[in-house]
Amino acid sequence: MLVIALAKGALLGDSVARLSQVGMDFRPLLAADNRFLQMNDPHTGTQALLVRNQDVPVYVARGQAHLGIVGYDVLRESQAEVAQLVDLGFGHCRMSVAVRQDSPYTCALDLPAYSRVATKFSHCAREFFTALDLPVELVPLAGSVELGPITGMAEAIVDLVATGRTLRDNGLVERDVLFHSTARLIAHPLSYRLNQYGLQELTAQLERIQVHPAHKTDFEHIQQREP
Amino acid sequence: MSFQPPTGSRDLLPLEVIQKTWIRERLQEAFHRWGYQRVVTPTLERLDTLVAGGRVRPERVVQIQDRDGIYGLRPDVTASIARVAASRWGQVHHPQRLYYVANVFRPHPQRGHCQESFQVGVELLGAGGLLADAEMLRLLQDGLTAIHLPPWRVILGEAGLTRLWIQGFPPVWQTPVTQALIHLDRVALGQLPSPWREQALAWLDLRGEPAQVFQQLSTWELTPAQWQRVNHLKSLVELLPAGFPLVVDVSLLQPWDYYTGIVLQVAVTQGHTVQLVGQGGRYDDLVGAYHPQGKTVPGIGFSLNLETLHQQLLPLGVLPHRPARPDWVVIPRGERAYRAALDHAQSLRHQYPDQRVELALTPPQEPPSQGVVWVDASG
Repeated sequence: MLVIALAKGALLGDSVARLSQVGMDFRPLLAADNRFLQMNDPHTGTQALLVRNQDVPVYVARGQAHLGIVGYDVLRESQAEVAQLVDLGFGHCRMSVAVRQDSPYTCALDLPAYSRVATKFSHCAREFFTALDLPVELVPLAGSVELGPITGMAEAIVDLVATGRTLRDNGLVERDVLFHSTARLIAHPLSYRLNQYGLQELTAQLERIQVHPAHKTDFEHIQQREP
Repeated sequence: MSFQPPTGSRDLLPLEVIQKTWIRERLQEAFHRWGYQRVVTPTLERLDTLVAGGRVRPERVVQIQDRDGIYGLRPDVTASIARVAASRWGQVHHPQRLYYVANVFRPHPQRGHCQESFQVGVELLGAGGLLADAEMLRLLQDGLTAIHLPPWRVILGEAGLTRLWIQGFPPVWQTPVTQALIHLDRVALGQLPSPWREQALAWLDLRGEPAQVFQQLSTWELTPAQWQRVNHLKSLVELLPAGFPLVVDVSLLQPWDYYTGIVLQVAVTQGHTVQLVGQGGRYDDLVGAYHPQGKTVPGIGFSLNLETLHQQLLPLGVLPHRPARPDWVVIPRGERAYRAALDHAQSLRHQYPDQRVELALTPPQEPPSQGVVWVDASG
């Protein structure tokens, strides 16, 4: 049975909608009172697993799910060995550096060496500051990173920004964009190579109906990857 | 204080050792039938050896430092074997058929801790060409059949062909295209400008049944050097027995870029999941990286991961499922019978060299069911 890992939260609605365009019906997962963590679609013989964002690449890299839909931000942070098949074009957001509105720093390079940077995305943040050749002290947090600069625990944050409202409401201002992110269709590499359950054709179908991505990163993300 | 083994390592208790030995012995028997001989190389190598020729990046090696220099725990055995081949240059006759059973160590890609695993693998040195490639694939089939591995398939690529094809791209894109192929990154290839994008995506999806792939390739405009590689692959497939489970995949590239010819992955399907149990390929330039004058011999090999094979075979019930039991238990009747019991147990061992004879060190709680010998002081 083809198994697809879907991320709970903001991407779920669009993910289910996109899969419905290739005949898979996982709409019951969207019900407000849904408690099921997995669901079978009898018409296509596929199964959806409902997991946390960060766990989508884990299920896919280990082959327990053949496909997954997850944000590029999560993929880049996890460095998981998964095949990126299609940029699905929804769930747009950006990974940004933000500081307090009243701080003198106008861009990341203005930050003094060994500034403290609070983030949930340590890998992305480290990669970015290493590329700038700017040593910083990362403060890994699990959430509400905006509090870092507010409380004085950090000079800056690296976090996902969708509309920018949370930043504004908390007196922060965006200074640099690390990269733009959209939802990606990912696959277990070996399953894709072996074309299990017709993955190649399914990918082609999803690619045909994709909305063209708003931001082209022009190899930016793979050039960052280790050779 | 914790006395657990370090993260990434584990203790193997008798039952698991018996099961893994069962797998290893069957593979070894297959290797012996093909004339392969075992070599043992050091667990610890100089870091320079492990990273020679840009084969592996230093951060992918678990490093150890002492006053004489920096060493690494071997991440695979191929480097050691290539080093040996280069240092014994001129002293050995080729081809050399070698196999190894070894633990290897790699840092965890995300968390960095040292991960130990066990590999069984073969290397055929000093023979290039079609027949050596065919020997490797047929030997692999023999080994996997001997251990009753559930449905497996070989994904076969040609690193030389793929690299020649990448050289057709403008130089600035060659590295990103290589990375995109290694990681199966369709999104990255989709960002190339037309007509490169269409070409790259078509190449990425060129895989499947051999006949169908060669049929599709026949419509491509390839250079003579590329055709030579395609024809080699085609001839190789013709040398395989009918029904050899094969997927030809021209975009298969390994992150280790020392492969120069065929590359392969071995996949096993169980239920709806598929797992990688082995990989390998041809490396015709690697030995040269260890030779002072850069003299090289062609080489080809594959390695199988013993843990993954064990995981795959365990639910099938083909592995021994309980620790070995004694065939005989010798029980002394009191302290005065110790000498006689020891002597009797020893004579049983001589009489039945293939059987297990145990001494009861404490009086048994319940009488063992068979093979019991009570011995009194008189013998």
